[in-house]
Amino acid sequence: MEFGLQLNERPMEAPREAHGHNHWNPYVDTGGTSLAIAGEDFVLVASDTRQSDGYNINTRYDSKAFELSNKTVLALSICSADGKRLYEILEQRAQLYFHKHDKPIGTEALAQLLSNTLYSRRMFPYYVFPILAGVKADGKGVAYSYDALGNMKDVTHIAYGSAAALVQPFLDSQVGFANQRNADPNRQLTRDQAMRIAIDAFTGSTERDIYTGDWLEIFVVDATGVHKEVRELKHD
Amino acid sequence: MDAQFAIAGKDFAISVADKKVTRSIVTMKHDKDKTYNLTPHTFISVAGEPGDTDNFSEYIQANIRLYSIRNSQDLTPSETANFIRGELANALRSRRPYQVNTLVTGYDKTTGKASLYWIDYLSAMAKVPYAAHGYCSYFVYSTMDREYSPDISLEKGLDIVRKCMASLKQRFLVDFSDYVIKVTDKQGIREIPMSEL
Amino acid sequence: MSIMQYNGSAVVAMTGKNCVAIAADKRLGQRALTVDMGFDKVFPMTNRLYVGLAGLATDVKTLHDRFRMHVNLYKHREERTIAPKTFAHMVSHMLYERRFGPYFVEPVIAGLDDNQQPFICNMDLIGCPNFPNDFVVCGTADENLFGMCESLWEPDLGPEELFETISQALLNAVDRDAMSGWGAIVHILTPDGVITRELKGRMD
Repeated sequence: MEFGLQLNERPMEAPREAHGHNHWNPYVDTGGTSLAIAGEDFVLVASDTRQSDGYNINTRYDSKAFELSNKTVLALSICSADGKRLYEILEQRAQLYFHKHDKPIGTEALAQLLSNTLYSRRMFPYYVFPILAGVKADGKGVAYSYDALGNMKDVTHIAYGSAAALVQPFLDSQVGFANQRNADPNRQLTRDQAMRIAIDAFTGSTERDIYTGDWLEIFVVDATGVHKEVRELKHD
Repeated sequence: MDAQFAIAGKDFAISVADKKVTRSIVTMKHDKDKTYNLTPHTFISVAGEPGDTDNFSEYIQANIRLYSIRNSQDLTPSETANFIRGELANALRSRRPYQVNTLVTGYDKTTGKASLYWIDYLSAMAKVPYAAHGYCSYFVYSTMDREYSPDISLEKGLDIVRKCMASLKQRFLVDFSDYVIKVTDKQGIREIPMSEL
Repeated sequence: MSIMQYNGSAVVAMTGKNCVAIAADKRLGQRALTVDMGFDKVFPMTNRLYVGLAGLATDVKTLHDRFRMHVNLYKHREERTIAPKTFAHMVSHMLYERRFGPYFVEPVIAGLDDNQQPFICNMDLIGCPNFPNDFVVCGTADENLFGMCESLWEPDLGPEELFETISQALLNAVDRDAMSGWGAIVHILTPDGVITRELKGRMD
């Protein structure tokens, strides 16, 4: 064990078939990237729309961020089908809540509901890494990030999906002001700044990640509701 | 399951190696000295596959001594470490590599500085202030991280050694109890008996 | 985990206006255990040419030694210092020589050519070279570095701007990688000489 490393490893292996012969795999990665940036009185969510399977592009326009009630956006990376199903379940629950209580479900309640829904499938999880972004009761922007099992944390910035490794350090730098000694830690981003950072993150990712590209859907959520904008990314 | 660690101060270096030779669940020997003196001021301590450690160390020892005789001059610690690394690296891509982890501890007479080189069985080498090999490193590194500073005295160095041994005694599966403790400085290499630690 | 991830590393090089920068982290580990926080991965070959080596630490040392020997031999034979492009092809050959038993190292080469123009190059472990005109990255934090460089880098940066850009790119990249970091070193090559600066980074 102490001498575990051997030098006979193959330097390169040919890409293997996604589906093995003897083992069926229920999980499919359809690629794509989502990010969220929480500001003082708004929150921004951005997702690309490419859906792929291996080297094939299934479609260039498949939304993976959805509006839930009137003041939250749910972005679901990794498996498109699982993401859509999860969105439907949450949308249904939000409707039921509205009819039962005669008021829309709050962002914090929805955030906990999402965690519970994910954990209810602990033994056969949805293959999604969700981001839920909205405005809290006090009017402040908030983003919650989850893993597939329901672990949850509220964050100021988060990136998930195939280009998460490319985007996350960029957000740490530009939104979290990491490694900037002179930056004011209480500085808040404006909407325009957040928008520019999100666009930069995606144009950069599109250059290097083959699973990210085509179109970019940007949602800005504030007290007045959800505002959606679509931009073009590179199609190559 | 060897335990070996070492600390280098400004003008001294301490190296500690356990004395056990084990095979599977059996302890074959309780009093094995795993250190090898190469020059009057430089020595190594080795851990790993029992046959390889002896074979490799003796080969290194003979060649370093041969160099001293031929050139009437000893290799410095850094030269010694680089020679060992080179031999180990060549062996790594041969039919049968040595599985030996080495710590090179030395005092350079010309500069008056002590140094410590960490070399693993893949011959990755690093000049470090303190080092350990094998499972032992999971226990002693934290102690050395907390206690070490570059200007420690020999007494403080030995105090760190005592603390490292204590944490091994308390938390490690194997009870080593007996160690070879060697110090090198201006006066050369000397062994400190466990009873005097 | 692959051999390329055994010791952990992050190396990046960027071009500027009549200058070029190369930077690397300082960690040496054995998988998750950090052994050394002062391990050099970037080495001067001439005073206009640096090479960074990311990958298995033993091969980083071995290749550095071999490169140094060949660069010195070249200088003696040719009575001139080796040009960055020539050196890059030499490295490529030395790696491809071991096509079926490779050194587990991805090199990054950064230099200024005879016309003070920046030259950067990187290779895979069997020596397939790349000569882009913006930046090159490699190591365990390569994806993070790609994301940072792609968004921070712009053409024609001066030496100080280039220093800030490459430093921010490297520090933020290694902070999201558990296998690299623990301080960093940056070299900026300019026609007037090399500026070398050590960066303090997060030690976790």
